[in-house]
Amino acid sequence: MTPADVIVEAGRLAAEGKPYALATVVNVVRPASARRGDRAIVTPDGRVTGWVGGACSEPSVVREAMRALADGEVRVARMDGECASEGVVEVLIEPVLPAPLLAIVGESPAARTLAELARTVGWRVIDDRVEGADAVVVATMGHGDEDLLAAALRAGAGYVGLVASSRRATSVLAGLRAQGLEEEEVLRVRAPAGLDLGPSTQDEIAVAILAELVAWRHTRPGESPVPVEAVDPVCGMTVSAESAERVEHEGMTVVFCSAHCRARFEAEPERYRVGTS
Amino acid sequence: MRDVLETLERWAATGAPVAIATVVGTERSAPRDPGAVLAVSESGDVAGSVTGGCVEPAVYGEAREVLAGGAPRLKTYGIADEEAFEVGLPCGGTVHIFVDRLDPELVAPIAEAVREERPIALEVRITGEDAGAKRLVTLDDEGPAAELLARGDNGIVDTPEGQIFVSSFAPRPNMYVFGAVDHAAAVASIGRYLGYRVTVCDARAKFVTPARFPDVDELVVEWPDKFLAGAPVDERTVICVLTHDHKFDIPTLKVALETNAGYIGAMGSRRTNESRNERLRAEGVTDEEIARIHAPIGLKIGSRTPEEVAVAIAAQIIQVMRTPRPQEVPA
Repeated sequence: MTPADVIVEAGRLAAEGKPYALATVVNVVRPASARRGDRAIVTPDGRVTGWVGGACSEPSVVREAMRALADGEVRVARMDGECASEGVVEVLIEPVLPAPLLAIVGESPAARTLAELARTVGWRVIDDRVEGADAVVVATMGHGDEDLLAAALRAGAGYVGLVASSRRATSVLAGLRAQGLEEEEVLRVRAPAGLDLGPSTQDEIAVAILAELVAWRHTRPGESPVPVEAVDPVCGMTVSAESAERVEHEGMTVVFCSAHCRARFEAEPERYRVGTS
Repeated sequence: MRDVLETLERWAATGAPVAIATVVGTERSAPRDPGAVLAVSESGDVAGSVTGGCVEPAVYGEAREVLAGGAPRLKTYGIADEEAFEVGLPCGGTVHIFVDRLDPELVAPIAEAVREERPIALEVRITGEDAGAKRLVTLDDEGPAAELLARGDNGIVDTPEGQIFVSSFAPRPNMYVFGAVDHAAAVASIGRYLGYRVTVCDARAKFVTPARFPDVDELVVEWPDKFLAGAPVDERTVICVLTHDHKFDIPTLKVALETNAGYIGAMGSRRTNESRNERLRAEGVTDEEIARIHAPIGLKIGSRTPEEVAVAIAAQIIQVMRTPRPQEVPA
């Protein structure tokens, strides 16, 4: 697959709303098996499509790609020669995450403003269903709130909010309990939705909800969990604690980026300081 | 009432009577705020809304009665109210709505003042013998209506003769955004949503272009401190300093702190903020004054993109503006 093919594949994933990280080799100090401009796509299952270097750099690129998918930040992974018989390879890793899908059901003025504002921060907004949405805001002013909230909870939306006075919120939540919903589920409903900014107008309530949505988006546990990390005592690289290259040393598990580093450690363990950081 | 002014003007031009229903008070969360208006023309046309559909049919009926010669009336609708259930709309909260006629000749002066961004208020007596009596109020007048107008608020005032409701048509409050950075465009957009008249100012002409800032009321190329020193500022004014360059920040913040602006925020990392505060202290600004600056600007909601930062700033502005300020104790 050529770098151009990788771009085509990336476009396809983006169009389908699937998350991936695009890895591009931006700098090479020879000898190295990758060339500047080589590209690969890393999907959340750790699969690599394309080429950014051989067996040595690929695990590091995958690890950094997972971190990028988890925190949404662009980063540069630098693979320095010690890890293998290679020079230096620097890879730019850009996470491409689909915009979260926000369902806003109901006709209140706050709902309309929220829909417009949410689009400006890059969310996709729908108003005809709650299924498949990452976040659901119910703002019907009393027309079937309980049913919509129950549907949103059943559909597994991560954020479920109700636009209401705290008094009405209490009665709606009571209604959910009466429908037989588990307490744990009922407690997932943010009611009233939005950060408490004081007595607010409808437009201000929309901002308060959007602020809560932004906070929720950036603090919710990532769908691609960041693996626990350890440091390769030989080359100093951060590696996954799950790395297959490992030895038991003085009662500790020591992990390495590669068989090469493991071999160097095993040859002269006293040369290296062992620790997790 | 602002949203129906144009329609009212058109109706008033025919000289035919118009009825207006005005939200004069709400309890708990109501769909629309005090000052919201539903207008009904003599021929039965409708403009605006008082609850976004909850009690409109009932209110429309009252308006028709008033148009047919009925007396002005103050009605209450609420979730626990039999009447709300009768109309079949169990909306949250309670709303108090005053329904009466609006003299066509009152409409033109209000519309004109709004167009020219001159503050004006409509004062309506809603209880007592003179219920329905109206007058226009400007900042030159004395009394509680002018005070509400100065703050841009709508609300009920108790007087010995009964209650009055004041609808303020204050010009939009000013938001000054300094630093023509990416964040400024996002802050300007959300500022306009919140009803601010937004000015973006930067000394660097090449950054201050309509292409970069399509959504602002005014673009100014000038040193921020110089511009701010000559700009109107009152307690509804919002000042956002986004330059994060001490060369611009320090003089701008010094001028901002001399005003009674309701919100002053400054962008920058924690470290930038600390060194900025040191510089301000070195220039004689007191810690109390520095405490007025919200920095780093915006609520901490984990914002990453400029648009998300703008949401954090907007949320903080609302929070600050909605918190009653401590009464100043005379020295």
